[in-house]
Amino acid sequence: MKITNLKNILFKSTRLILASTLTSAALVWSSASFAGGTEYDLRVDGLACPFCAYGIEKKFTKTKGVESVEVDLKNGLVIVKTDESKTFKEEELKTIVHDAGFTMKSMTEKAR
Amino acid sequence: MKLLSWPTLAASALLATTSGNVLAHDPVFGIGPHVLFKDGIETAIEVAQEKAGEEKESELALEIVYGITGDWAAGIDVPYARKDDGMDTSRGLTDLQVFTKYRFWREDSLGLQESAAVMLAINGQNGDENATPKLGNGATDAILGLTYGYESIKWYRWASARYILPGKNDAGFQKGNKWLVDFVAGWRPKTPEYTKPDTVWLLELNGEIADRAELNGMSLANSGGTEWFVAPGIFWTTRNFAIKAGVQLPIASELNGTQDKSDYRAKMSFEWHL
Repeated sequence: MKITNLKNILFKSTRLILASTLTSAALVWSSASFAGGTEYDLRVDGLACPFCAYGIEKKFTKTKGVESVEVDLKNGLVIVKTDESKTFKEEELKTIVHDAGFTMKSMTEKAR
Repeated sequence: MKLLSWPTLAASALLATTSGNVLAHDPVFGIGPHVLFKDGIETAIEVAQEKAGEEKESELALEIVYGITGDWAAGIDVPYARKDDGMDTSRGLTDLQVFTKYRFWREDSLGLQESAAVMLAINGQNGDENATPKLGNGATDAILGLTYGYESIKWYRWASARYILPGKNDAGFQKGNKWLVDFVAGWRPKTPEYTKPDTVWLLELNGEIADRAELNGMSLANSGGTEWFVAPGIFWTTRNFAIKAGVQLPIASELNGTQDKSDYRAKMSFEWHL
């Protein structure tokens, strides 16, 4: 009886350890596959005209590592997405926006 | 004959004497404070036509502008014209123009940009002054400008003043100094979305106040005066391409001597930001 119980415990433990290991491996694999840079949400002032806003798109897309740029004129938002090779400092973002002819008021940064 | 033809030149309005700045988000006939993003390049093709009595002038110009900084741009305008004075016709390059604009003040807020800029332009003297009608005045002219602009999601307004200082050519001819003043209102009926086509309707009030021309120090009677125009226009864009068009209709003229009043002036430009 005692030996049977011990065998059951060992069997269940082994299954549990195996399941945990497989799950962890799956999590590591998936995070490695879908790891992707950063999203920067910029509040930009002075954006009133789509033709003028092209300058922002152009300045950012010329930067290596930038995957996409979206511009929301009504809300004064510029959303920049980068791959894992590129991170921006706030001063760098301010300069790019200034060189495009606008003013960056604030920014938030989040991992993708 | 050459001397007699200078008064004719004085009486005619040359497209090339006004600033050829096509710069993007500026009015059609006036100037605005808009420049270009740093290291940006704007190319533009402009077609224009004006008629005053028997005289008619058509012009095709190529303009290239470079953004030196986010607040400073410089460019060159290369015009080719066809002129008809009712008796003769001439064709060829008219005076090239190099220009620079510096935006010295800018106030940005949500969906709004107010700014002011100064402008300097120089007209060369490469136009053939021996053609009939003349394609150039044989002198280098300078143009100084000051402009203010208010650009929001829905409404636009601009005000500008330019002062033209014509040079004196080898024959002793000098066109009169000239003021150009412009007041412009713009309206965007639909809230813009960045990648979608966008339309702004424009209405300009353009004034031209010119002194008499001089030939060897003597004032020419049939030159100078004042003209005012109303100019409806449109500015249509999609991402980095823009079309700008308008027509100037005279509403008041007080020209010296026996000059023909302007009948109309029309302009259209096609611009790309690269």
